[in-house]
This record gives sequence, structure tokens and C-alpha cells, in this order.
Amino acid sequence: MACAVLCLAIGAALAAVPGPVTAAPSEYQLKAVFLFNFAQFVEWPEGTFAAADTPLVIGVVGTDPFGAHLDEVVQGEHVKGRPLTVRRFRKIEDARDCHILFLGEGGATGRQDTWPALLTERHVLTVSDADRASAAIIQFVDASSRIKLRIDALRAEKSGLTISSKLLRAAEIVSSTEARR
Amino acid sequence: VTATPVRKRLMKMVLLTTGTVLLLALSAFVLYDFFTFRQIATRHLSTVGEVIATNSSAALAFHNKEDAEAVLAAVAAEPSVEVAALYDADGNLFATYPTGLAVSTLPPVSGPDGYSIQNNYVVGRQQVSEGERTMGTLVLRSNLNGLYARLGLYAVVSAVIFVIAGLLAYAISRKLQHQVSGPILALAETARAISVRGDYSVRAEHSAGYEMGLLTETFNHMLTRIEQQHGSLQAHLSRMHLLRHITQAIGERQDLDSIFQVVLQSLEQSLGIDFGCIGQYDATTETITVAKVGGASQKLAIQLGMGEKSRIALDSNGLSRSVKGQLVYEPDILAVPFPFPQRLGSAGLRSLVLAPLNVEHRVFGVLIAARHEKDVFSSPDCEFLKHLCEHVALATQQAQLYGALQQAYDDLRQSQHTVLQQERLRALGQMASGIAHDINNAISPVALYTESLLEREPDLSARARGYLTTIQRAIEDVASTVARMREFYRPRESQLLLARLSVNTLVQQAVELTRPRWSAVPQQKGISIDLQLRLEPKTAEIMGADGEIRDALTNLIFNAVDAMPEGGTITVRTALKEAPAIAPGDASTKQVYIEVTDTGIGMDEETRRRCLEPFFTTKGERGTGLGLAMVYGMIQRHSAELEVISEPGVGTTMRVIFPAYTAIAASEVRVNALPIVERRLRILLVDDDPLLIKSLQDTLEADGHIVTAAHGGQQGIDAFTAAHGSGNRFAIVVTDLGMPHVDGRKVAASIKSISSATPVIMLTGWGQRLVAENDIPPHVNRVLNKPPKLMELRATLAELTAVAG
Repeated sequence: MACAVLCLAIGAALAAVPGPVTAAPSEYQLKAVFLFNFAQFVEWPEGTFAAADTPLVIGVVGTDPFGAHLDEVVQGEHVKGRPLTVRRFRKIEDARDCHILFLGEGGATGRQDTWPALLTERHVLTVSDADRASAAIIQFVDASSRIKLRIDALRAEKSGLTISSKLLRAAEIVSSTEARR
Repeated sequence: VTATPVRKRLMKMVLLTTGTVLLLALSAFVLYDFFTFRQIATRHLSTVGEVIATNSSAALAFHNKEDAEAVLAAVAAEPSVEVAALYDADGNLFATYPTGLAVSTLPPVSGPDGYSIQNNYVVGRQQVSEGERTMGTLVLRSNLNGLYARLGLYAVVSAVIFVIAGLLAYAISRKLQHQVSGPILALAETARAISVRGDYSVRAEHSAGYEMGLLTETFNHMLTRIEQQHGSLQAHLSRMHLLRHITQAIGERQDLDSIFQVVLQSLEQSLGIDFGCIGQYDATTETITVAKVGGASQKLAIQLGMGEKSRIALDSNGLSRSVKGQLVYEPDILAVPFPFPQRLGSAGLRSLVLAPLNVEHRVFGVLIAARHEKDVFSSPDCEFLKHLCEHVALATQQAQLYGALQQAYDDLRQSQHTVLQQERLRALGQMASGIAHDINNAISPVALYTESLLEREPDLSARARGYLTTIQRAIEDVASTVARMREFYRPRESQLLLARLSVNTLVQQAVELTRPRWSAVPQQKGISIDLQLRLEPKTAEIMGADGEIRDALTNLIFNAVDAMPEGGTITVRTALKEAPAIAPGDASTKQVYIEVTDTGIGMDEETRRRCLEPFFTTKGERGTGLGLAMVYGMIQRHSAELEVISEPGVGTTMRVIFPAYTAIAASEVRVNALPIVERRLRILLVDDDPLLIKSLQDTLEADGHIVTAAHGGQQGIDAFTAAHGSGNRFAIVVTDLGMPHVDGRKVAASIKSISSATPVIMLTGWGQRLVAENDIPPHVNRVLNKPPKLMELRATLAELTAVAG
């Protein structure tokens, strides 16, 4: 069963990849994969999921830069036995019941002081582009030819999230104070 | 067998064993390590791969090449890993270590996952995944230099261990092997020493260790047995030698005495007996006579009273058993309560062997051997003595047989010699008889007329009477010489007239008779011979025939002269001596010696032995070879003895020993005591010799008898027959024996057939032989010799006619 699922996943990945491979993948195409990948390198505290097969929800708040890419990436995928779903929110206050939340443009408006705490309390991994000065845990830093990751380890810890050291190795680690800069 | 190979071999064995074990152990170890190392290397690489793969998943997931390369660079810590490469999920090369490698230099990405060894490299291919997702593939390649380095190190270490272990093994085994090889070498050395020196009394040193000790013990035991067997073999051999030596020695001897001598001497010298003697057993008297005592045993034998010829009575134990053919051994003679052993024991002898000497189950002697020590005759000794005695017995028997054979041979030769001599003498006698007959016939008239003249013619001049007397003596000597010529070989006859004679007178007569030979003749040749007389001053008389003795002495003196061609001295000695007693207690008898001694050339043994043989002469043409033979004839007839003592170059003594005259001997003399009867008788004379018949007729008629002469046998018979018929009978007939046609025997037979009472006297030149051979013909009353003696004839006529009348 797991094998079949794995094969399917690979098959889906391969089927999804060929087009963009021939033409170099777009920025958000790559970031969509990254979002999906985060699910694999991060562990949520116990009790986050109601059941073993409670879907892992990737939310997008604000402007959705991924288009269909994100849905394509998570389509049929499972992470640790959980199916993946994508939900889109208009306001950050709505984005309570998701596990990974991409802060799109305009998404993080509102009460600047309260939502990080709220999200932290709800153990939500927040992701954003770095050029938008936000308080996301993981930020995409666009380098010349590639996308770098910047992780606010302190905030992640506050959120009760355990980020794999592998991910940490591949990323730039910052403290919360730095994150506000 | 030298010492080194055993040591070397042991060392080799130890080293080889050590080497082999070490080699196997090290090889197993290295092999194990080799394979283990490969596994380890594989696993190690897979571990490295896992780590890299795990750590690089994020790099792949988030396309972080720097991070990927940094992760890959971590393998630098593992120098064996040469190449590491990350491919993304699409199979595109993502990162390499070292950086910037081309795809072509890398192991291919396609292929099954896993780690394996290919061409001296460990190649690994691993999926890089995160959760269920595959992020890419990690490819690794590491060399096996570590393994080879390790193997090299192992090789060095092994070699070092090998050398050290070898040295240790050598040192230890050198020390330990001595425990094994030492005793073996000692044994080998002992064995070598024994075989070189032949000394079986050497023993191997006892060595520690059960097997070695056992081996040494067994070896020594074996040596003891060999020594014993060698000893007994040697003893047997020496006894065999001794036996051979003795049998050889006795085989060369023929007389018992020297056989016994050599046996006893050998036993004393070689068998070491202290006393040895051989006794001869006489079954009839049941005694043993000591025949021979060993040279070294003489002293002891005298002490024991067992000198040669001494007798030992049989006692009921040892000696009697031994004479029954048993070998008797008394190990301790003091324990034997019998006289003979006790006697030996008294002289300090303790052990005794009595070995019988028997031939064909008959014991004829006992060998007695004894020693001072107790129980020192071993059973081989006894066996040896037994065998020896068998040989001695055989040799003894042979010696006896040889002696008997020699005796028989000597007897045979003596008989042959005697027969030959008698044959010669018989031939000589026959010849002599013929001559004697003729001579006797010829001298008969001379004797008769001479005697008659001397008797009947008292008017004869003294001169004529002297001449006639000489003629008469010469005729008598001729007659007796003729008689002796035939008779010298013959034993004394009854007719031999013995007279009581003084030897001094006889010797003087003989010396005078021979004077020309020893005095005048040599002087003419310029040789001087001195004759000395050494006469017995006492009266020395014998019974004998003086003529014969005189002749014999004459012969001896002639021989003495002949023995001295260069001159010298002849000594004639007479002596009266006591005869040696034949048996003690016999009355002493006297003997008369007559010795003729010369200082001439002497005789060698051969000549001395043969000098009495007839016809043996050393004088060549001059000698007849009858001189001493006649002397010997005289000696025999007189019951005398002759001793010949001679030495070449010194001279010869001929000694004649007569029994001295005694009264008993005198009584044997025949005395002619019959008186002459003055009766006229009619006598018939028969003879073919006219001269004899004429002289006999003349002398008988001169006595007053009426004599009729018949010149032949037939004529005599006719005359007697005629006279008998006419009544004018003859009172007696005197006839010759040897006549042609009708001889004396026929005449006598015819006369007796006509008148058996008429006595017949036979005259013969052979008369003495007839009497000697007991050959008086039948019908003849008396035989008289020619030449007839008037006195004898008268006596016979008187005797026979008196009987007849």
C-alpha cells in the first residue's frame, strides 16, 4: 500500500516535473515544491492533529503567487500518512486551522502585534518572501540564481515546532530580533 | 648412527609443526580479516553513504548545491572514499566530491541500490529520500587501500611473529628435545660402544621419563641377556676349542699313557681343575687303579695317597655309579658321607666330577676331576667332560686296537722271519747232510783203523802212537765239525755228550788255538793286537760239549780280531756270578760268564740285531755268515745265553752266560757203564762202501767176531736168508742206511720178517738227524753214527745181544 502510494507520488512528481524541467521552472513553481518539502522537515507538537490521518493543510493568505502550481505539487501527496490540502485565506485572522501558512502580499495586514502570537500559539509554520518584512518563521531569500532559506529558530521554538537539522543546515539561521529588520 | 640427524630431525619436526600451525593460524586470521575487512569496508561505506544521504536530503530538497558539496566534502575524513556524487531525482548530477568532476569519471548512476566490491573498489549507490519522497541518488566509490595496507601490515606482523615463534620454538624444543634425544643418543652411544668394543658389560645410563626409562631398562635388559648369551657362547666356543685341541692331541698319540697325560694336562690348564686323574677299572676285582695323574695334581695325589698305580676301592655312591656308566657330579663332597669323597675333601677339594670312560657300554675307566671350590662345575662343564670322555674312550680303544694290531704285525713278522730262517737252515742242513754222509763214510775206515791200531798194537813206537792219537783226534774233530755243520740250528739232542768242563781250561785252549790269528798274522801286517786274559780265580765249571764251546770261543776271538783292522786289545774274561733271582725266595743259582771284548769298530743297531742270522756277514767275500750262527746254535744247545753289547767306534763285548755246574746237572750225564762182553758173534755186515766194510770187518774180526760182509742190500738179505735156512744164523746185523736199490730200511724189514728176534744196528751219516726227527725206522734196534766208534759199536753189540740172548 505504502509502496503503491510512493510510486504514485513519484509518478505524479515526475509527471508534474517534465514540463518545467525542459523550460526552467518558475520561481513560485520552485517555492511551491519548497512549501511541500517543509512538511517533511518539520514536526508539529502532539495534539496539533486531531487524528492520524488528519490532513496537513497548507494555507496561503493574501495574494496567491503560486497559481495552480501549489495544488499540483500537493496533489495526491502524503506526508507521514497525512494527505495534503491547500487552503487559501483572505485575512490572517482566518488562517487558523492550517499548519503551513504562506504569507502572501497583503496577507499579514491587520493587527500586527497579535497575529504572530496567535499563529505561534496554534503551532503554524509561517513562510514568506524575505523582501516583505514580516514575522514569518521561514523566509525565502532570492539570491542570484537560486532561492535561499532564512529560518527564525527562536520563533520556531516558540511556536513549538521542531525543524529538522537538515533543513537548518541548508538555511540561514536568524533570531527573532533580526526577523523584524 | 650419528647423533646429529636425530636432533636435526626432531628440531625439524618441531619447527615444521610450529611453522605449519603458525602459517595456518595466520592465514586463517588474514583470510578472515580480508573478508571481514571487505565487509567492514562495504558496511563502512554504506554507513558513510547513509549519513551523507541523510544529510544531503535537505540540500537536494531545497536545491542547495553548496550545502550538498559541503555535506559531500565530509567524506574527506574518510580517505578511502575517493569519489562521492549526488544526483537529483531526475538523474542529473547535482554535486560531486571532489568538486567539479565530470559524469564520465563517476560510477554510473543507473543500477540497483547497494554496496558492492567491483574491481578493487567499493561502489555504493543509495537513494536519498526524506520521508516517503526520493530526493535523488548518492553514488560513492572508495578504494581498498586500507585493506591492502592492513594486509601488508599483517604480513609484516606475521613474519615477525613467525620469526619470533620459530626462534622460541627452536629454543624451547632445543631444551626439551634433549630430554628425548639425550637418552636415545645415550642408548645409541652405548650400542655403538658395545658393537665397537664387543664389551657387553656396558650399561646405558638410566634416564628420566617413563618411555625413555622403559626403553633404557629394556635395552639394558636386552644387553644383560646378550651378555649372558655371549658369555655362554664364548664358554661353549672355548670348550669346543678345548675339546678339538684335546681330541687332536690324543688323536696324534697311540699309547694310553700319553693320551691320559695330554687329557689331564689340558684339563688342568684350560678347564682349571685343581685335581685330575684317570683310573682304570677292573671289573673282576672291583677296584680302580690310578693310571695317570695330571702334572699339576701330583702333589695333591701324593697327599691323597692316589699316586699312579695306587688302588681305590669302590664305594657304594659316586665311584660305583660312575663305573656303571653314569656321570656323577658332587657339588659339595663334604656332604657325601662316603670314604672316597671324604678322602678328596680332606685335601681341600670340594666339588667333584666322575666321568666314566666306556667303550661299547663297558666302563673301563673313570676320569676324576675336582676343584677346591664348592659347586663350581657348571652343567656345560659336566657336559664337556662327558663328551671329552667319549673321545678319550674312543681314542683309548683305538690305541688298544693299534697296540694289538702292532703286536699281531710284529708276531707275524717274527713268524715270517723264523719261517724264512728255518727254511734257509733246512736247505743248508740238507746240503750239509749230503756232504756229511760222504765225509763220514770217507773217514770211517781212518777212524776204525786208527782206533784198532792204538788198541791192538802194543808194540807201536811212542812216536807212532803219538801220530795215531793226533790222527784220531783230528778225525774226531772232523766228524764233529761235519755233524755241527748240519746241526747248529738244532736244539740240544740226547746224543750230545755233555761233560763237566772248566771254562778257564776251555778259554786257554781257545786262546792257544787262535794265537796265530791274533798274534802272528797281524804282526806280519804291522798291526799290534794285545790279548788279555781275566780269568775267574775260583773254580768255574759248566756242563757242556767241549768241542762246540771251543769252536764257539774260537769264532768269537776271530771276530774280535776282524773287528780291529787297526789293532787294539782283546780281553777274554771268565767269571762266576750269582744269577739274578727270578722270584724272591728261590734258591740262588750261579752263572758262568765268558766275555770276549774288543776295542774295534763296533756294530750299529742294524748289524747288532742281525748278527746272529745265518749268512749275514760284514766281512764280504771273506765271511761265510755262519760264525755267530754256529755260536748261537751252541748257546741254544747248552741252554746258555748270549749278550751282545756294542757301540760303533768303541767296541763290542760278546758275553756267553752258562748255568754253572751243579750236582743235579751232573746226574743227567749219560754214563756208558756197560761192560764189554767177550762173546764171539756171527755178524752180517751190509754196506755198499767197500772201504768201510773192509775196515769194519777187520776191526770186528780183530775182536774175535765172525763177520760176513755183504756189498749191497739185496746181497745182505740173500746172505741172511741163506744162513737162516742153514741153521748157521747171524746173531746180529749191521747195515748201512743209504744204499742203492735196496736201502737199510728194506734190509732191516726183511731181516725182521725172517727172524724178528735178530737185532739190527743201522749205521748212518744221517744218524743224528734221524734221531732228532724221531725217525728211527721200524725194525731197527739202534742207529749209530758214522764214522763208527769202536767203543760205541762194541757196547751196542754187547747190549743188543745180551737182550736178544
